[in-house]
Amino acid sequence: MEKVKLKLLYSDLKPELDMIEKELEQAVDSKSHLLNDASLHLLQAGGKRIRPVFVLLAGKFGNYNIDVMKQVAVPLELIHMASLVHDDVIDDSDIRRGKPTVKAEWNNSVAMYTGDFILARALEYITDIDSPKLHHILSKTMIEVCRGEIIQIEDKYKLDQNLRDYLRRIKRKTALLISSSCELGALVSGTDEKTAAHLRRFGYFIGMSFQIIDDILDFTSTDEELGKPAGSDFIQGNITLPVLCARRDPEVYSLLKNSLQKELTDKERLLVVKTIRNSPGISEAKAVSERYLKKALQELDYLPKSPANKTMRKIAFFIGKRKF
Amino acid sequence: MNEQLIHSKITSMELDVLKAVKQRTLENFTEGPSVERARLFFLLLPFFDENHWSGEIEASAKTVSIVYAALHAHDQVKENALVITKKQQLTVLAGDFYSGIYYQMLANSNNITMIQRLATSIIKVSENKASFYDGLVRSVEEIDDLVHVIETELLTTFYKFYGFEKYASLATLMLRYIRYVEELEFLQNNSQTRILRLLNQTLQHPLQTERWLLEKLDLLHEDISLTINSYNFNYELKSFMLHQITPHQHRAEQLTREG
Repeated sequence: MEKVKLKLLYSDLKPELDMIEKELEQAVDSKSHLLNDASLHLLQAGGKRIRPVFVLLAGKFGNYNIDVMKQVAVPLELIHMASLVHDDVIDDSDIRRGKPTVKAEWNNSVAMYTGDFILARALEYITDIDSPKLHHILSKTMIEVCRGEIIQIEDKYKLDQNLRDYLRRIKRKTALLISSSCELGALVSGTDEKTAAHLRRFGYFIGMSFQIIDDILDFTSTDEELGKPAGSDFIQGNITLPVLCARRDPEVYSLLKNSLQKELTDKERLLVVKTIRNSPGISEAKAVSERYLKKALQELDYLPKSPANKTMRKIAFFIGKRKF
Repeated sequence: MNEQLIHSKITSMELDVLKAVKQRTLENFTEGPSVERARLFFLLLPFFDENHWSGEIEASAKTVSIVYAALHAHDQVKENALVITKKQQLTVLAGDFYSGIYYQMLANSNNITMIQRLATSIIKVSENKASFYDGLVRSVEEIDDLVHVIETELLTTFYKFYGFEKYASLATLMLRYIRYVEELEFLQNNSQTRILRLLNQTLQHPLQTERWLLEKLDLLHEDISLTINSYNFNYELKSFMLHQITPHQHRAEQLTREG
């Protein structure tokens, strides 16, 4: 339902997004029926396609040509998909968006090759654009995203990490790819550098806000809404902002510390979820997310008033209030 | 170029590749990038054979080696594991990180076409690797074709891109030879690999697989000896290839004699 609402916000882009959806299907077409099935399985599990949306919207600030824009929008979504299929191996996740993951449906090796295949398709596709700057930005982003994930593994189960560690991690894990989506959309549509910089920063701030909300929803949503058990991030040892805020209460700290040292039963997991949900950690995390949201909106103030600007603004508001 | 200089050039390239992909956490918790000296030798073969060799070509050769390391890292992730360890998690990320590095290195040298060619090769290699899991029983010839693509596609792409195609047939024979020597060792140590699993499935018994491998090694070595003589390599380079890269033991005859 919420996903439908989000899609309504950018319904003006529907014909272009339908085209991108078809291109995505074609892009994952493979001689290997196994890779074909695994990639389509992933693609058909859906998703918000937020990265292509930001590429297209950013492109509206320049000379918008869908045939050029899709050359960036499609590979960025493919890069995101490739990282998801590998993340499910890292997190040992059997369910994503309510459906079995590639690693659960087949095995870890198939997930590895599917991710490698999709990533290579993305690079094959985007290298039709002969822009060194674009490739510098994208390759740097890919490396930073990996570094973010490596740090995330290093920081797992460390309850005593600080806010800076968390922010640095989500910047790399989520915000950078959204930021690059906006920047590359601006770049290929030929906007001036100032516009591209505002769009890049908009993407960064909205990405930070988006990830913080995601981390809040891990505690405030139901298993059904999430399509996976609530509190999954915590169970996997990921210390997110609601936890960092809630741990200031000594009793909560002690519960969290103990919970991180053992495998939790379902009852214990639900107790952790309930404790965080009822703690001030949720409202404090929301306040941080809102600060990023406000900064994102400020970036849009620098850009010309246009339907694209309006849609970006609406998406930003929606992200702040989303419930899935 | 003598043996010592060849070794020294390979080592220098090996160190460059390791430096390019250096990452503290990955270094501490994974086995590190697999940079095989035989592969480096073949990437450098046009240089050893005194072809025109530039900084750009050498930089590209390094990126090919990094792609091999990226794909190899993902081969190390266990098919099915009850619990995924930190080492395995970081091995997944190591492969992705190395992929990012090769892309960045080529992007920094504005070699966009090479990024595209390598991406096309990775697609082919991944498709062939996925064939190990599609449940089909394949003929030994088909299995040999899979091995061929997996072992040599990236190298062949590099050769084609820089006009060194003439080395492709020899490298293809020798890299397959090296692969099968390793598979034979795994088999004799009772270890299982994806290639052995597929061969055992087709040939129906490990002893048959062993025989097939031994005969294949003999055939490949005969081809290597014939092919190598069709090149104008100098004596030392030829000797390096025959004695350092693919030394042969004539194992099939030995097996027949021993019974």
